[in-house]
Amino acid sequence: MISLELSIIRFKDVFKKYSPENVIFSGIDLEIEKGEFVFLTGPSGIGKSTMLRILFCAERPTSGEIWVDGVALSSLSNAQVPYLRRKIGVIFQDFKLLSNRTIFDNVALSLEVIGLGKKQAEQRVMQVLEGVGLKGKMSQYPLRLSGGEQQRVAIARAVVNRPAIILADEPTGNLDLQRTEEVMMLMEELNARGATIIFATHDERLFENTHRRVLRFHNGKIRI
Amino acid sequence: MSLAILCRRAFFDLRQNFFGQLITTMVVSLSILIFAFFSLLYFNLQDFVDRFGTELGLTIFLTKEAPKDRIPYLYQKLTDLSEVEKVTYISSEEAFRRLEHFLKEEQDVLEGVDAEFLPPSFEVQINRAVFQLDRIKQLAGEIDKWPEVSKVQFGQEWIDRLHVFSGLVRTIVTIIGILLLFTAAFVVTNTIKLNVYARKEELEIMRLVGATNMFIQGPFLVEAFLQGLLGSSLALGIVFAGYSFLQGFETRFELLRGMNICFIPWHYTFAIIASSVLLCVMGTALAMRRFLRL
Ligand SMILES: Nc1ncnc2c1ncn2[C@@H]1O[C@H](COP(=O)(O)OP(=O)(O)O)[C@@H](O)[C@H]1O
Ligand SMILES: [Mg+2]
Repeated sequence: MISLELSIIRFKDVFKKYSPENVIFSGIDLEIEKGEFVFLTGPSGIGKSTMLRILFCAERPTSGEIWVDGVALSSLSNAQVPYLRRKIGVIFQDFKLLSNRTIFDNVALSLEVIGLGKKQAEQRVMQVLEGVGLKGKMSQYPLRLSGGEQQRVAIARAVVNRPAIILADEPTGNLDLQRTEEVMMLMEELNARGATIIFATHDERLFENTHRRVLRFHNGKIRI
Repeated sequence: MSLAILCRRAFFDLRQNFFGQLITTMVVSLSILIFAFFSLLYFNLQDFVDRFGTELGLTIFLTKEAPKDRIPYLYQKLTDLSEVEKVTYISSEEAFRRLEHFLKEEQDVLEGVDAEFLPPSFEVQINRAVFQLDRIKQLAGEIDKWPEVSKVQFGQEWIDRLHVFSGLVRTIVTIIGILLLFTAAFVVTNTIKLNVYARKEELEIMRLVGATNMFIQGPFLVEAFLQGLLGSSLALGIVFAGYSFLQGFETRFELLRGMNICFIPWHYTFAIIASSVLLCVMGTALAMRRFLRL
């Protein structure tokens, strides 16, 4: 049987420049299959974050087209962007948690914005917090937690609404080796459950022994 | 998003950012307070000028030849005018008696003088609600044309001078008022901006997890509404308390009794509250706009 697998993410001749001298991408063509786990790498300042930001529409490309889950991003108005973002979970190096909300409320935010009922939301949040091993700390505030724990909260927030795609931008950048291992295992687990993951990192060690596809930035192009 | 959820979120926010909200409300309150006190001054000045003008009223002198039987007709004609509050007829005899009273010991100078040498007159009090100098002037002109009337007198010079003066004061007061209003708007919008900027991370994170602009703005706008409403109401409440206090003085001290302090007109207080609410809501929406683009 022929598998008509559709790429969940597709770049076609994408350019991004901040100014004529500051060209980040010059003609990127790329396809990422549904359920794939790819690493995005290259030295700092090469454009990894920019690429992820373009994917969740925090940034628009200068030219070219990108499809995410069949939707051409150029066709999305600013008002439609939130609906795209509900299909994408994003994780950052600096966690981006709300320090005045409890762990529970931070994770629940993702469900609050899509208007999920309180009861249902509560159940889902508990389940996800249990999955990242933080159920016991759900009524604490983020700054009371260690970096590794905060990152797991951020992961919980990113995945609680079951997004098809997870974008991770140097999520282990602030963590020690053991915490990094934990995060990597969580990511593997999420991928095993069907999420498509793009993992940006400049740290070669994270994919040394992997069988995963590694996308390398080089002179505004991607080498596979 | 239902109203209940919106209110719950706004309430949660209010508790979370209580201090910031309080400061903003105080800033709104102080700004409006300065402006409202100023308005109180302005309206009292205007009221005083108007009242002063009406109290002068009109005096209509009749010609000596005017037949006596025309007097009830003229009285009625004057009373029927919408601008007129009260008409008093002063006969020649009454005018003479007043003159005698005025002269007191020296009234012997009037000896042998016939009471009829003074013309009869009407004293007309103008309805306070319709008082306008131009209308009074016009009215005086019209009455002057009546055949029985020899002269219409009203403290024209006085009123004119008063109006020039009050016009000048009013212009200055209006300019200062507008400047105050701009200052208030500037201070309030900047305070709001600072508050929104302090929460820009929160806005960014909400955007990140797929919140719509409506969802993000909702609680902020509810808070802004409350800030505008409470801030301005508090300010006007303070001004009203000050006004009541002064009124208490007025009844206790002889000197102030004639002043008749008035409060800012009610429709104007509502306009202040509405503008304050609008200012806070618009200021918040504008301050948020730059964080809600992408
Ligand atoms: N808003 C911007 N204006 C101008 N240049 C920018 C802007 N954002 C990023 N850049 C530049 O784009 C390049 C790529 O940045 P980034 O995507 O963050 O790299 P990476 O994540 O690979 O370290 C950097 O050289 C950075 O200076
Ligand atoms: Mg980066």
